[in-house]
Amino acid sequence: MRFPPLLRRRGVLVAVTVVLTLALSGLGFRLWYAGPPGDASLEAGFARDMQAHHAQAVQMALIIRDRTTDRQVRTLAYDIATTQQQQIGQMYAWLDMWGLPQASLEPRMAWMRQGHQNMPGMGQQTAQMPGMATREQLKQLEQASGKEAETLFLRLMIPHHQGGVQMAQAAQGSGQPQVKRMASSILAAQQAEIELMRGMLAARGAAETSPPAAG
Amino acid sequence: MGKNAEGTLKERLSALQAEQRRAERRRRVVMISVSVVVAGGLAVAATAFVQADRAGRSLDAVQTINVSARNHTDKAVSYPQAPPVGGDHAPEWQNCGIYTKPLRNENVVHSQEHGAVWVAFRPGLPKEQLDILLKQAQGRDFVVLSPYTGLSAPVVLSSWGKQLKLDRADDPRLTAFLRANINGPGTPEPGASCSGGVGEPSV
Repeated sequence: MRFPPLLRRRGVLVAVTVVLTLALSGLGFRLWYAGPPGDASLEAGFARDMQAHHAQAVQMALIIRDRTTDRQVRTLAYDIATTQQQQIGQMYAWLDMWGLPQASLEPRMAWMRQGHQNMPGMGQQTAQMPGMATREQLKQLEQASGKEAETLFLRLMIPHHQGGVQMAQAAQGSGQPQVKRMASSILAAQQAEIELMRGMLAARGAAETSPPAAG
Repeated sequence: MGKNAEGTLKERLSALQAEQRRAERRRRVVMISVSVVVAGGLAVAATAFVQADRAGRSLDAVQTINVSARNHTDKAVSYPQAPPVGGDHAPEWQNCGIYTKPLRNENVVHSQEHGAVWVAFRPGLPKEQLDILLKQAQGRDFVVLSPYTGLSAPVVLSSWGKQLKLDRADDPRLTAFLRANINGPGTPEPGASCSGGVGEPSV
């Protein structure tokens, strides 16, 4: 076999072989091990936006516990607040472990476009995430009491959970096992709670009318 | 053909070949030199670009202040910095959001303990500058935006133990500071809320 003049020297040939081998194995390693999710990844977007989404659910749950003495509603609110606050902590820790900032550079919900999800009702200034209550709705909840507050809480929390379900569905496409597991757990829990809350509304003789400004 | 003529031909041929080799060497030297100069130039330009980009977003100018006091108090607190970057604070935290009137230091410091960044601006900041701040604050949780009387720079960013003074709102370090310090590693109580406290933000 005749090499071009430059490669005739054995040293050069060895060097070229070594460089090519290193480059190929580096490429192979990159393909095999993807590393932690990046700043603009679906995982990071989910961890950031779901923290904010959950935080509002915790806020509403704590408000209703101050506004009613009904045992059933207070128990549900206790359950939502403790579960979702714990999940906020998990998602906070993921970002910390991935070496990513908690605050995003991207606008809200940009990560969901990666999941090919169409988000109806997105883009309102306060309700940027699906199902988020507006500031006015939160104020109404803070000022209501008794059965009126319970009904309002249920009517706000149902679309909030529906929004959470949509976000969780989008995150199920993640290749990170812990993200996928959390998304499935949120999906199952919130779907079940939506049914529970519908029953609670019916028991109060109230319709599940969508609050006007909810996304 | 005579012996003499043959010799001349051979000499001329080898002279021609030598000349060709020299030309080839020259060409190679020129090609290599040009390649080295071009590659070097590209490397220098890329490094300069990256460094200039980094310098624009660099957080080197951020002051780091060691804060040890974090007790709850109903009394007024005298803070060494204006706006403060942590310390003793009111039991109730300021709800994060956008405010049109100055806030009480003691409440906002409690929000800083929970991971908030206080974006304080000089009253009378030009509208286009204020719009930039509003846009940054609207899409983010854990930001308190408010005017602050007697501010030492047009815009001052303060989180627990960190402060950065800016001459302009369109300084790219604004985003960099927010990203680094909203619920950043210096947050004493990560996971604590920035709602459910006091104050009614306008947005």
